Amino acid sequence: MSHAFAAVYRSAAPMAIRCSRRAMSSSRMLRLACATGPTTASRDWKRNSLLLTAPTGNVQQYLREYANEKKVFERTKPHCNVGTIGHVDHGKTTLTAAITKVLADKHLAESKKYNEIDNAPEEKARGITINVAHVEYQTESRHYGHTDCPGHADYIKNMITGTAQMDGAILVVAATDGAMPQTREHMLLAKQIGIDHIVVFINKVDAADQEMVDLVEMEIRELLTEMGYDGDKVPVVKGSALCALEDKSPEIGSEAILKLLKEVDSFIPTPVRELDKPFLLPVENVYSIPGRGTVVTGRLERGVVKKGMECEFVGYNKVLKSTVTGVEMFHQILEEAQAGDQLGALVRGVKRDDIKRGMVMCKPGSVKAMDQLEAQVYILSKEEGGRTKPFMSFIQLQMFSRTWDCAVQVQIPDKDMVMPGEDTKLILRLIRPMVMEQGQRFTLRDGNLTLGTGVVTKTMSALTETQRLELTEGKKAREKKEAAKK
Amino acid sequence: MLLQKFCTRALHTTRMVYASGTGAGLEKSALAALRKKTGYTFANCKKALELHNNNVNEAEKWLHAQAQSLGWTKATKMADRATAQGLVGVLVRGNLGAMVELNCETDFVARNDVFKRFVDHVARICLQYTEEIEFDGDLWKLGYESEALKNLPTDEGRNLGDHLALLIGAVGENATIKRAICFKAKHDINLCGYAHPAPANVGSTEDTTQVGKYGTILAFRSDIKYPDYEFQKSICQQIVGLKPKKIGEYGKDKPVENKDDETCLIHQEYLLDADRTVGEILKENQTTVVDYHRYECGEPTRGNLDEIIRSREQSSN
Repeated sequence: MSHAFAAVYRSAAPMAIRCSRRAMSSSRMLRLACATGPTTASRDWKRNSLLLTAPTGNVQQYLREYANEKKVFERTKPHCNVGTIGHVDHGKTTLTAAITKVLADKHLAESKKYNEIDNAPEEKARGITINVAHVEYQTESRHYGHTDCPGHADYIKNMITGTAQMDGAILVVAATDGAMPQTREHMLLAKQIGIDHIVVFINKVDAADQEMVDLVEMEIRELLTEMGYDGDKVPVVKGSALCALEDKSPEIGSEAILKLLKEVDSFIPTPVRELDKPFLLPVENVYSIPGRGTVVTGRLERGVVKKGMECEFVGYNKVLKSTVTGVEMFHQILEEAQAGDQLGALVRGVKRDDIKRGMVMCKPGSVKAMDQLEAQVYILSKEEGGRTKPFMSFIQLQMFSRTWDCAVQVQIPDKDMVMPGEDTKLILRLIRPMVMEQGQRFTLRDGNLTLGTGVVTKTMSALTETQRLELTEGKKAREKKEAAKK
Repeated sequence: MLLQKFCTRALHTTRMVYASGTGAGLEKSALAALRKKTGYTFANCKKALELHNNNVNEAEKWLHAQAQSLGWTKATKMADRATAQGLVGVLVRGNLGAMVELNCETDFVARNDVFKRFVDHVARICLQYTEEIEFDGDLWKLGYESEALKNLPTDEGRNLGDHLALLIGAVGENATIKRAICFKAKHDINLCGYAHPAPANVGSTEDTTQVGKYGTILAFRSDIKYPDYEFQKSICQQIVGLKPKKIGEYGKDKPVENKDDETCLIHQEYLLDADRTVGEILKENQTTVVDYHRYECGEPTRGNLDEIIRSREQSSN
């Protein structure tokens, strides 16, 4: 009987069995990588599957070479993503270079020179061009991904495509200038991309006196409070990135950098690992095995699944309760599946036809299906393969997220139309409720064209019956209604 | 002086916060007062106080006097830094219209009120000069290049270039006035303007500078007595969104086969109703488009195309 279950699973992942040893180890890698989000993991997965299609002997050789070429990333510390924001001349890049230099002296980072970071290369993430510089380093307690972008639009695109979601930011202000008029815009940006924790670094104190530095601190705290942050509690570190870079006056140079990193370590909280969240599995396929029951397959997005756990299927206007009676991976029984694993789960008491691709299996009560949401979306330009024409409210699009897709109606809340190449806030109304959460990423398509990618910023109250009916209404009916109102 | 007011207002803060133990006594210090009042950088405030024995009033006067030259110093220092971001401002008042493009280094600055107000200021200066123009015919239109704009005199014997230098001093980023175009209409020709992205549900845009990434000014004749602003706006949106190359004439310009490649305004599909063409909509509203101009922020103009070609040639040598 269990063989039948396995046979089904084999068809779901045909290449897995051929190279199961490698596959097993790769899945462990996936699990470890999961904290950085689904993007990395799925990329790894793709790369592995590519490797697996090659003849076995070559694979061995290739893997060996591959391992030699690249250093293996050791995940011993929790990971955290930070970024620098601030005026162009206040020393963001110098600070980044100084951080890597100071940490390189402690063998915790690779020292990067100013001009290595400065040129913020164009990066193509999910087909979207972003100007962004990524640097990595670690402190005693955490590992960091450090992002620096030249403009507002680049930070927004970075948030949407999710190459590195920022958990906190370092705001750099020069003591000689103080806050600039556009510092306000920097803080607004931080708010917009969901950064709740800011650490301030007052740079260039070597060119200013104590009174000036204190006044800048006061001013910046004031501004932070005005913009809705807790200005009195925000850590402020004073120093000179240039001194640190040039190995001069350590009390405002390297020591200040270390103090800044200590504040970043303690003030910006470590993001919750995917592994520690309630489990969630987007259903990819459903099979019925005579005599055993129903099996769902998919990649566990987060959490841990074990035999005997209660679960819930949500989506397509349905909520079904069930219990996991078995977990298998690569047709072997698994004690517990962890986030990142591609697995099959045997569930009790539900029929195959009750469950559909696009539903999610999750811890009961942990998610809800929504049909109205607010999102920040980047609309692809023509060069990126998007559409040439702008669009207006009421356009009907197909929305793809996790394993489901659904028709949505678009409302543009704060402007009349959206041009290709712009980022915008949109309100999306789904034709039927689907599982959506804040921070979930999705793609909007129009026919065979990818129109944009976005991230859910807020889930909104469910549609009323009349609103739902309006979704299917044509343009004519809408105009008639408008006219009647007047 | 307009700009200085801007700076002070932009940095004016409403709440006093005690930063730390040492900060408490600073509230009343001359430096704090001067910075709060004028908004100039700390370094400059400090210098002003040193020069005037901590006399705040004297120092303030000196700062205002110095702002211009400090702005120029900064402007010349940063003159070669690229300005790829910015705003397009569109201002229409009666039979006058002006559209300007200003550039800066980062879009953070383009979003700032100081910059937006400066765009408004430049647009108004342009409009002021258009007002004085006398001409024959129905429609007058003139484009300005960057240098010509900088030399436009404003007040107190200064010109727009001086104001620009002040702005550069305030935001600490290079900025340029790239180009402008002015419209003046007579007789039965009307003007309307639109900048995208525009906030939804605003009424009349008469005499307010709209700012955005794209802008357009439209000159048209209409037989309808009461103008329909929504309709005018939709035609402007059409131009901004679908980038027509020309208006097109019936009989002379034939619609192309692939609708998406259409570059004649009258044959393009109407954005608000894909089943009809713009030409049909215009007829229905008894309107003819006489002329239009479209700006896209950061698009290459003929002037800087030459520059690009030149720099390429240099680098290849």
